[in-house]
Amino acid sequence: MIRAGAVALALVLAGCHGDALRGDVRELVIGTEGAYPPWNFTRADGSLGGFEPEYLRDLCARLHRRCRMVAMDWDGMIGALQTGKIDLIADAVQITPERAGVLAFGRPYALTTGVIATLRGSPLARLGDDGVTMDLDGKGPAFAAMTDRLRKGLAGKVIGVELSGAFDTFLTQTFADRAGPGVSIRYYRTMGERDLDLLNGRIDATLEDESYIRPLLATRDGAALVMAGPRMIGGSMGRGEALAFRPGDPGLRAQFDRVIGDTLADGTVRRLGLKWFRIDAAPGAVRR
Amino acid sequence: MSEELAFLAATALAIVRALPITLVLSLSSAIGASMLAAVLVAAQQTRIGRPLAHVWIFVFRGTPLLLQMFMVYYGVAALGPIRHGVLWPLFRDPLFCAWLALTCCCSAYIAEVLRAALAAVPTGQIEAAKACGMGRGTRVRRVIMPQMLRLALPAYGNELVMLIKSTSLASTITVVDVTGVAQLVIAHSYRTIEVFCLAAAVYLALTAGLTALLRRIERGLAQ
Amino acid sequence: MSDDLPIATLLGFGPDGWGWALVSGAGLTLAVALGAMAIGTLLGALLTAAQASRAVWLARAAAAYGVILRGVPELLVVLLLYFGAPGMLAAGAALFGLPPPGSPPALLTGCLAIGLVSAAYQAEVFRGGMLAVPRGQIEAAMAAGMGPFARFRRVIAPQVLHHVLPPLGNIWQFNLKDSALVSIAGLAELMRVSLVAAGSTRRPFLFFATAMVLYLVMTSASTALFRLAERRGQRWAGGR
Repeated sequence: MIRAGAVALALVLAGCHGDALRGDVRELVIGTEGAYPPWNFTRADGSLGGFEPEYLRDLCARLHRRCRMVAMDWDGMIGALQTGKIDLIADAVQITPERAGVLAFGRPYALTTGVIATLRGSPLARLGDDGVTMDLDGKGPAFAAMTDRLRKGLAGKVIGVELSGAFDTFLTQTFADRAGPGVSIRYYRTMGERDLDLLNGRIDATLEDESYIRPLLATRDGAALVMAGPRMIGGSMGRGEALAFRPGDPGLRAQFDRVIGDTLADGTVRRLGLKWFRIDAAPGAVRR
Repeated sequence: MSEELAFLAATALAIVRALPITLVLSLSSAIGASMLAAVLVAAQQTRIGRPLAHVWIFVFRGTPLLLQMFMVYYGVAALGPIRHGVLWPLFRDPLFCAWLALTCCCSAYIAEVLRAALAAVPTGQIEAAKACGMGRGTRVRRVIMPQMLRLALPAYGNELVMLIKSTSLASTITVVDVTGVAQLVIAHSYRTIEVFCLAAAVYLALTAGLTALLRRIERGLAQ
Repeated sequence: MSDDLPIATLLGFGPDGWGWALVSGAGLTLAVALGAMAIGTLLGALLTAAQASRAVWLARAAAAYGVILRGVPELLVVLLLYFGAPGMLAAGAALFGLPPPGSPPALLTGCLAIGLVSAAYQAEVFRGGMLAVPRGQIEAAMAAGMGPFARFRRVIAPQVLHHVLPPLGNIWQFNLKDSALVSIAGLAELMRVSLVAAGSTRRPFLFFATAMVLYLVMTSASTALFRLAERRGQRWAGGR
């Protein structure tokens, strides 16, 4: 994940005015990274764009609340939430058990999978199990066989991942306990660097979120890439993305959960997913 | 407590395993940069070579080494003739790209050191050597070079210390050297200070060792 | 996003252009270098004073600071501050029973990291500059009835400045170039902007070459400025 500068770029979300000004309802401050495309990113002119800025604008309008989105470093975001500098986080936060202690997760509004991307001509392009959803919390012989196929396919290859992301955890866990040829993991500080090396052929493949890879494949350079192998969820890759609130703020969370339910029901989430990720990222859209 | 010690021991072992990369990179780019610097100084003595050497030194001294690393690793490597040419097996390797960037960058700094030392060799001595009937080659070998090396040594030593420190930048283009290992350990353990202190101690030992060695050589030359 | 765009558009100031980002990145580069220089001058002067101190432990601590900060890669110092600062701040806050304050602004972290290194080198320069003024001259100036201000203005400053300006110019150049390391901390200075632009447009050669040109403009402009200052300094010192 690109670490944005901590300079908070304030952005008053257009369309949040309306009748929100009536009464003394306080403006909500939403923290985001502004550097995790296509979820959220900072445009050349300093404004925020992407799935979450547009989605949160919709949610705030449904709640009749005035909202302001600020970009900040992920490192400082949880601290800012705890100290009340921001009221909630909208930053593709994945629901993992470790985070559940400090954050109160709202209803998930997206469920994306981890995928393997490689050059078209690469032997990895024929990894097998293409597009099959692989639940990393799964058990049983079918899961073990799939893990084994994946392990054999990736053995001896150079896989590029982002430093301190969730994907290298998966790779080290999958290959740690086995003798024989492992994978060599190459670490990158930004996704752009990793993409350049993937396109250059310096690395054999990358493991990345589908929501990032799909739009990349649609670009001119990205056309040289394909997705291969299963789509992975659960385990170290989390179970969906949700808004994060202070544990002591259940009222606000309940309000948001209600309108998130509305947007899931009326197809808003589906529409925005197709627009920004080129997939329906709504929870429940992933089928076994 | 014992868990803490075990972590430190494991980290120290990982760092020591990466030490050969840092050493090989330091030594090979020190050799490469010194040779290239000698070529640059020789080129400065000719009419055609002078502006070329000047531009080389201007560019490599005037821009950050980090940028030069990225330029070699991502920029130059993406150019068609490199990406699809015979040199690609070399450029594909991050270690080679780091060596190339370090060699080019440090050659510019060392060339300045050598040039200053050359200018400091007394002209009287060169004329005396000429008067003794020494040929050009003999003059360079027996009069100019020994003087130049002695005059250049302290500043040259500083440049070598800088070079050792600069090898840490190779970690930014995926080379897993001492700094690279330190960063990986931190990314997985979230223990920052003790890991960086271990890595810093390794560099400190290398630079202090080199400094002591150079002092000894200087003393030897002075006698 | 920016497939097949012409170079003029990519480097321009339009909606698809990185022109403004690069220019403001260069501005931040200058800001980091200036901040680091200021921190380095302050701390460097303190270190020089400490090294001249009669308290042996203080002098030794200052000397050790110099040896360590000049012997360790600048990149490690930047990384240590960037990754270590939130933890150190949290530990400090915990002492007072406060919640962790999060990470400090990247600009501050960057200035501090480069400044801490700069201080070690500046202290050396100041020490050399102090030695350049013979003790006898100061005593003579006192005997001639000069006050402390006149002594500083007419005897000490001209000589120290004359000795200190050229090496300080060198240190400034190093600060300017070392500021690129702060890109690791996520600050959108010139190096970072060119890297992000290279990654998202997948035109690395173009953006790194542009960044090199901008750095060359900054380094050669500051060389010219320091030369001017040296000449002025000489005139101020009574001309030669």
